[in-house]
Amino acid sequence: MKRSIVWQLLRRNISVGQLAGYAVANLLGLAIVLTAIQFYRDVTTVWESEDSFISRDYLIISKRVEGISLGGSDHEFSQAEVADIESQPWVRKLGRFTAAEFNVSAGLEIWGRGMSTALFLEAIPDEFFDVKPAGWSWEPDSVSGHLPVLPIIMSKDYLTLYNFGFAASRGYPQVSEATIGMIPVRVSISGNGRQMSLMGRIVGFSSRLNTFAVPAEFLSWANERFADPTPDGTLSQPSRLILEVNKPGDPAIQAYLEDHGYESAGDKADSGRASYFLSIVTGVVIAVGVVISLLAFFILLLSIYLLLQKNREKLRSLMMLGYTPGSVARHYYAIVAVINGCVLAGAIVFMLVGRHLWHAQLAEIGVKGSAPWVAILIGFCIMALITAGNILAIRRNVRRTFPHPRR
Amino acid sequence: MIDKITLEKTLPQVFAGMENDQPVCLSQVWLQDVEFARPDYYMVEAESGTGKSSLCSYIYGSRGDYSGRILFDGHDVSEFSINRWCEIRQRALAYLPQEMQLFPELTVMENIEIKNRLTGCKSRKWILDALERLEIAVKADVPAAKLSVGQQQRVAIVRALCQPFDFILIDEPVSHLDQRNNTIVANLIREEAEANSASVIATSVGNKINIPITHTLKL
Repeated sequence: MKRSIVWQLLRRNISVGQLAGYAVANLLGLAIVLTAIQFYRDVTTVWESEDSFISRDYLIISKRVEGISLGGSDHEFSQAEVADIESQPWVRKLGRFTAAEFNVSAGLEIWGRGMSTALFLEAIPDEFFDVKPAGWSWEPDSVSGHLPVLPIIMSKDYLTLYNFGFAASRGYPQVSEATIGMIPVRVSISGNGRQMSLMGRIVGFSSRLNTFAVPAEFLSWANERFADPTPDGTLSQPSRLILEVNKPGDPAIQAYLEDHGYESAGDKADSGRASYFLSIVTGVVIAVGVVISLLAFFILLLSIYLLLQKNREKLRSLMMLGYTPGSVARHYYAIVAVINGCVLAGAIVFMLVGRHLWHAQLAEIGVKGSAPWVAILIGFCIMALITAGNILAIRRNVRRTFPHPRR
Repeated sequence: MIDKITLEKTLPQVFAGMENDQPVCLSQVWLQDVEFARPDYYMVEAESGTGKSSLCSYIYGSRGDYSGRILFDGHDVSEFSINRWCEIRQRALAYLPQEMQLFPELTVMENIEIKNRLTGCKSRKWILDALERLEIAVKADVPAAKLSVGQQQRVAIVRALCQPFDFILIDEPVSHLDQRNNTIVANLIREEAEANSASVIATSVGNKINIPITHTLKL
C-alpha cells in the first residue's frame, strides 16, 4: 500500500512512448547480437567434425614440389625451419609427421581375390587426434616378441578411388567402410637387410588426410629395425608438419607459407579462410547489434534522466519526509528491470525463431547446429550489464537529489 | 534520539560580508551560539528576508549553504550520512515547511499516509480524529490541489505529526489560520510534543502559534 502511493505519485511523468522506443531499439540490437552468435555457432559446427585433421584449427603443411624431385633433404623441414614455424604467433602447437623409412607392401583378400600394393605409412603425435579409434596403440609383447595387430587409419579418398575407379572398371566388388574394417590386411615390411610381415586392420577413415596413419609407437619401433642407415648417420627430418593454429584463415598464415615456399594440404586453408571470413562477417553483424544496443542503452538512460528530472521535486519531497534514496529509486529499478526482462525475452524468442528457420536448411546439408544455451547466456550477461548500468545511473542521480547539508 | 541542537556561529552564505549590518548584527541566532534543548518551546521571531526558512532548512539538513556549525548532541550534522538523515527524519525530527510540500495530485489521506506508512506511527483512527479536530475530515478524499491554503496547512500539520520526534520544527504553522484554528492546531501540536517529551521550534513573522513559549529568539 505504502509502495503503491509512492508509485502512484512517481509514475505520472513516465513517457510510454520513450520507453517503448528504447524497448524496440534494444530489442533490435540484442536480437541481432544473439541471432548472429547463434548462427555463427550453428554454422561453425561444420568444421567441428570428429576427425581432428579437418577441424578448422589444424593445417597440414609441406614444402612445394618443383619439377621432379628425387627425394633427399630438400623437401624436408630442417630443425631451424621447424623452430621458425613454431615461433610464429599464430601457431599454437606443432606436430611432425614421421614417415616409414622402409619398404611396405600390403595385401588383402576380398571375396577370394587377392590384392597387393606397395604402401607408405606415416604417424603423427597422438595429441593431434581428437578421437582415437578403439585400440589405437601398438606395443609388441616384450616377453614372447608377439606382434599385435597393426591399427591403420586410411584416407576416405582411397576407398572412394578403389570403389568407383578401380573396382568399377575391373569388375571387383565394392566395399563399405564397415566391411573393409573387418578384412585383415597383411603388411610386409622390409629394409636394412631384414624382412617381416604382420597383420593389420583398417580401424578408421579420414576424409581429408591423404595418408595411411599408424600409431607413432609402431613407426619408431619399425624405423629402428628396418630403416636403411643414412650415409652421414643423421636421422631424417619430417617432410610434413601438422599445425594447430589460433585463427585459421589468418592472412598472416598464408603470407608466411607463400614466403617460405610451403603449401597446406587439401582445403584446410580454404575452410580456414571460409571460417575466418565467417567470423569477420559475424563480428561485423555483432558489432552492429552492440552499437544499436549501446544506443538503446543511452536512450533508456536519457529517458530515465528526463523522468527523474521531471520528478525531481517529488523525489526531493519524498526524501524530505524520510524516504531513503533506495526506497524511491527502486520504483525506477522496477521499470528498468521489467523493460529489460521483456526485451531479453523478446530477443531470445527472435533468436530461437531464426534458429528454427535456418536449422531446416542446415539440416539438409547435414549440419546439426548447436544448442542455444550459449547465446541465451550471453543475452543474459549483456542484459545484466545494461541493467546494472541503468541501475547505477539511477542510483547516482537519486542520491544527488537527496536533501543533505553536504558542503 | 536528539536532546540538544546547537548552532555555532551559523550564518547563511547569502549574508557573508554583512556581519556588521542589519539583520545580522541584531540577530540573536546568526553568528551566535544558540542551544535548543528538550523539552522547551522556542519561538523564532523574524521579519521577512531575515533567513527564517533558511534556518529551518539548515536544522532539518536540507540545505548546507551556511558558515559555522550545527550540532545534534555535539555531532556536526554536515557529516551525517544519508541513512542517518533518513533515520532522523523518520524518528527524531519532524518538520512543517512553510511551503507545506504536499503532493497536489494525492488526496488528503494519501498525503498523510505517504508519511505515516513510512513511520508506522499513527493509526488510521488517530489520523481521522486529527482531521476531524482540524475540521477537514470531509476533505479526506479530496486532492490536495483542491484545498485552500489554510486547509493545506492543517493537512501538512497532521502529516508532520505522523512520526515520533524529539524536536518539531514548524515554519509559520498558522500563517493562514484564524485564531480558533490556531488554538486547535496549537493544542494538537502541544499534545503530541508532550507525548514525545519533545521540543517545539516555531517561527513566525507575525501570526504566532498559541503554545506556551519558553524562549523567544529574534532572528
